[in-house]
Amino acid sequence: MHEDILEEIKKGNRDAFRHLYDEYAGYAIRTAKAITRNDELAKDAVQEAFIRVYRNISSYDSTLSFGAWFYRILVNECNRLLSKEKKVVPTDTSLMEGNPKLTEHSEEGVSDLYGIIQHLADLYRIPLLLKYIKGFSEKEIADILNLNQNTVKSRLFNGRNLLREQLSLMEMEGN
Amino acid sequence: MDHMDERIKKEILEHTEDSIDQLKDDIWSHLDQELFQEKSRREKKMKKKSKVIPIIIAAAAGVMILFSTQTDTGMAFIKQIKDMFEPEKEIIQSIEGTEEPTDVVLQEGKDAEYVIYIDEERYKLIKDENADIITTKEPLEERYPEVSMKIEQFKDLTPEEIVASKETELASEYSKVTATESVTDPVEGYKLHAIDGGTEWDSPVTNVYVVDNKNGGSFVITEKYFLEAAEGHGARFYAMLKQFVIVE
Repeated sequence: MHEDILEEIKKGNRDAFRHLYDEYAGYAIRTAKAITRNDELAKDAVQEAFIRVYRNISSYDSTLSFGAWFYRILVNECNRLLSKEKKVVPTDTSLMEGNPKLTEHSEEGVSDLYGIIQHLADLYRIPLLLKYIKGFSEKEIADILNLNQNTVKSRLFNGRNLLREQLSLMEMEGN
Repeated sequence: MDHMDERIKKEILEHTEDSIDQLKDDIWSHLDQELFQEKSRREKKMKKKSKVIPIIIAAAAGVMILFSTQTDTGMAFIKQIKDMFEPEKEIIQSIEGTEEPTDVVLQEGKDAEYVIYIDEERYKLIKDENADIITTKEPLEERYPEVSMKIEQFKDLTPEEIVASKETELASEYSKVTATESVTDPVEGYKLHAIDGGTEWDSPVTNVYVVDNKNGGSFVITEKYFLEAAEGHGARFYAMLKQFVIVE
């Protein structure tokens, strides 16, 4: 994001904010839809993320890329709405790491690759979604999720392997 | 990117494609309304209101600042202001659905620029260097979030300037900040409301009221309590704040 656009947004310039919105909204909506698996929650999350960005733009620290800062807010908002929806304390997914059965949801009815991705545990699912939707690098995903880059690398690697395994199983069952 | 990567990307993009344009328009329309149209409407409304003669006691207008509260003359002026108000009175406040008569005691704020009636059975007024803080008479246990009502004056900042900075401040501290609104109760000015979390008994809640001091500056009243105390401390703060009067 260009500095001058950010400066204009700080001054409350509506056109500059619209410019930012047009640049970020499309992929933000896709990401929120994929993370929340729900169009209404996704809409609320994207809306709230942009409001937070507008109101907190002066606290944006340029040591982080603007994209990483924006997506950190968006992913946090998605998680907040999801936990509110579930009305339960989120599970500590880090405990699931290393478990070969890494799915959080029943696989019943899963018939395509997207279904398999959406049934992965969040610790694999969210880094994968960020990588494939927006094309974020491991470093950027680490910044967004506030994780160590090596952790992200390993989660992406394991997540892909899981996908591959589940996909082979599904294809074998299909034949 | 190998075949597997391409396939994953393609599948995700296909499954998130639906109604993007529609959602994009809907979200923008909401953002535009909340961030730009509402703001502009509020500013217009406030400018219009500021033309109306405010309900201010023109007691010791301007002259007050000439007298320090440390001098006998200054003390005499404060006494004069206090004399204009009943030293104690009974107010009826609605606490958890019950009308409750409560005795309140007159207190003058910092530099005697406002007065307020305090429910001294439950609260005390602490005069800090830059602000007055009304808090519980007995300290709360550590497990409770802060319960207080802070009254401070910013002589060089207009209500609109305060609102803009408070909106940013609240958004960074609380998970849910509702749209700023113009209110006439318990005071006339802007009201900002925010809550953190929002579903737990101890979710921190804040209400910030920004009142024009009619002299180019603003009074900012910040209430802090927690969700379960909304109808207790929240209602009592509201009732006390209704007794807030600027002394010009």
